[in-house]
Amino acid sequence: MGLWMADAARRVLEGRHVLVVEDEYMIAVDLARALADLGATVIGPAASVADALALVAGESALDLAILDVNLGVEKVFPVAHDLRARGVPFIFATGYDQWLVPSAYADAPRFDKPVDTRALARALSTSE
Amino acid sequence: MPFDRPSHRAQLAASRRHEDAGRPAVQECLDQLGIRRAIVLNHSGQQSAAAELSPDREERTGGAGGPKRRHLLTPNGMRVGTSVLRHDCSSEGVSDRLRSPSGLQAKRRQQVTDDPVSRPERGAPSSDEMLRLLVESATDFAIMALDRQGVVTSWNVGAERLLGYAADEIVGRDGDIVFTPEDRAAMAPQKEREEGRARGRAEDERWHVRKDSSRFWGSGSIMPLADGSGFVKILRDLTKRRNAEEQLRKSEELFRLLATNIPQLVFRTRGTGERNWGSPQWIVFTGVTFEQSLGFGWLDAVHPDDRNVTVAGWTQARTTGEYYIEHRIRQAKDGEYRWHQTRAKPLGLAQDMDSDWVGTSTDVHDMRGLQERQKVLLAELQHRTRNLLAVVQSIARQTIRTSGSTDQLATEFEGRLRALSRVQGLLARVDHGAIDLRELIELELTAHGDGGVEPGKVTIDGPPAMLPPSSAQTFALAIHELATNALKYGALRQPAGRLDILWGLEGANGSKRRAVLDWRESGVQMPDGSGRPARKGYGSELIERALPYQLNAKTCLEFGPDGVRCRIATEIESHGAVDG
Repeated sequence: MGLWMADAARRVLEGRHVLVVEDEYMIAVDLARALADLGATVIGPAASVADALALVAGESALDLAILDVNLGVEKVFPVAHDLRARGVPFIFATGYDQWLVPSAYADAPRFDKPVDTRALARALSTSE
Repeated sequence: MPFDRPSHRAQLAASRRHEDAGRPAVQECLDQLGIRRAIVLNHSGQQSAAAELSPDREERTGGAGGPKRRHLLTPNGMRVGTSVLRHDCSSEGVSDRLRSPSGLQAKRRQQVTDDPVSRPERGAPSSDEMLRLLVESATDFAIMALDRQGVVTSWNVGAERLLGYAADEIVGRDGDIVFTPEDRAAMAPQKEREEGRARGRAEDERWHVRKDSSRFWGSGSIMPLADGSGFVKILRDLTKRRNAEEQLRKSEELFRLLATNIPQLVFRTRGTGERNWGSPQWIVFTGVTFEQSLGFGWLDAVHPDDRNVTVAGWTQARTTGEYYIEHRIRQAKDGEYRWHQTRAKPLGLAQDMDSDWVGTSTDVHDMRGLQERQKVLLAELQHRTRNLLAVVQSIARQTIRTSGSTDQLATEFEGRLRALSRVQGLLARVDHGAIDLRELIELELTAHGDGGVEPGKVTIDGPPAMLPPSSAQTFALAIHELATNALKYGALRQPAGRLDILWGLEGANGSKRRAVLDWRESGVQMPDGSGRPARKGYGSELIERALPYQLNAKTCLEFGPDGVRCRIATEIESHGAVDG
């Protein structure tokens, strides 16, 4: 287990299906690993809007999504749109300021990069 | 003295009146003086009579053809004077008195001292007497009589005050000396008299000269006497008015100069936003003509989406006393709507909302563009910084996970941070534009060459290819891992080892061009038969997993019998290749 790993004892995401959308491989892998440590089944990670949309469309069980706002040259908002249509809650993980997030998604929780997975775990456990 | 101070004094309140041809002498004279109302005071200064001196206040009696009786009436209809007119509207009465001061004096002695109002019919001043009083007391007017050649025959107090000559020093002298030498040389006095004679009256405004040589702007009027013996001339000092007019003209000229030469579009408007003037710049910029822009016509040049706020701004302006709005105004030459900052304030010191307002529209389009761009850049900078920190964090985690010892961890982590730093430097230099593949590889290899790589050991060759900035970082980290491995175990460490880094391009010149890069080590003695490390390291994961995931690259990593072979096919920019 890594130095910054979330509290593995608290498997707050046990049995949950969590989609990860993040174009930076190392960050995506880290995040996926941290989520797995919290007991989640990770869907993805996906590096592009197209890949993420395909996953959203293909997965019947989706409980949560963690979305990086900036995916190279594109923005993740089409994915947020589909998730909202399906009623799947999501969290933005981004280095962007709040004002760049469209007002339609302004109510979605936002975590600054680099994501503190322990803080994320705490947030998820309180929201359970 | 031609005129003695009368026992009754008359005070005059003056205002301009329209001309009315054929009016009696007193009326005409009063009109010349611009007098509308006369008040007669008694010895003790109390008002004893007031006359509204206008034709419709005159009452004429007497049969047609015979002598007419005329009364000057007070505002409430009381008669204050009676005269018998021998001729119609003759100015003879005027000339008589002006020419015969002694006669005037004689007449003055007969003047009644009773209150003319209480006994209007008996002893009220006659119309002629009234005229005499007026002439004598009109201190703001120079009234003089001239003979046919312009020699002064009488001179009132007003003339003395205005021109500086006492009556006894000017009567009998040439009256033309009140003209400027230039006007005299141009025969202006003669022309004036000729015109007066020909038309019954001549008026002009010109500079006049006082006794002390100082000048004033005088408005004059000259009328011939009915008997042809000379002229009556009335002169007023309008220097102040002229100066004020000049001041106003200069100030208006200054405004016009300013309003039509500054880059701003200037306009003048009612407090409602209804325009009544637009500067030439407005017309040129918007292509909306002066006439079209009047009223609310100017709104046509405002972006349809901005019209409501533009008009609503005027309602607000009336409470704040200042109009301020940012809106888009159409530029005629290319139809582009450009952002303008429009301000207006009511004219005058009183800040009267109902007065006219003057405003300007300043083009702030470029400034707004810069502000927007700055906002985006700042967000981008934040994004990059936070993303870089996230990458550093993930490198740290991966390095911790894959390192055997703390020493190894420190060395590897530091090496990777340095590689990250180098590629960041490269990106900063090209302002996060595309990166030359050869430059990136050479930079990585040179950094590792400090360990003493012999010349000829390494070959780097391939056609010009530009990596997208989004790929550069991960790609550089992959090259770093390969180079580190080669220096530690492979071609760069072993004396017989060779390293060839060669690439070619595939795909049409357009979309999805790829550079296919081969990292080929040879002459390397691998530690065991397979050459494959026992544990999958950070470098392997980066090349085999991260590059395909992140850069959509195709990769292949082999540990051959004589060294590491790696193939990376990655997308490059379809344009902007550099020489080299």
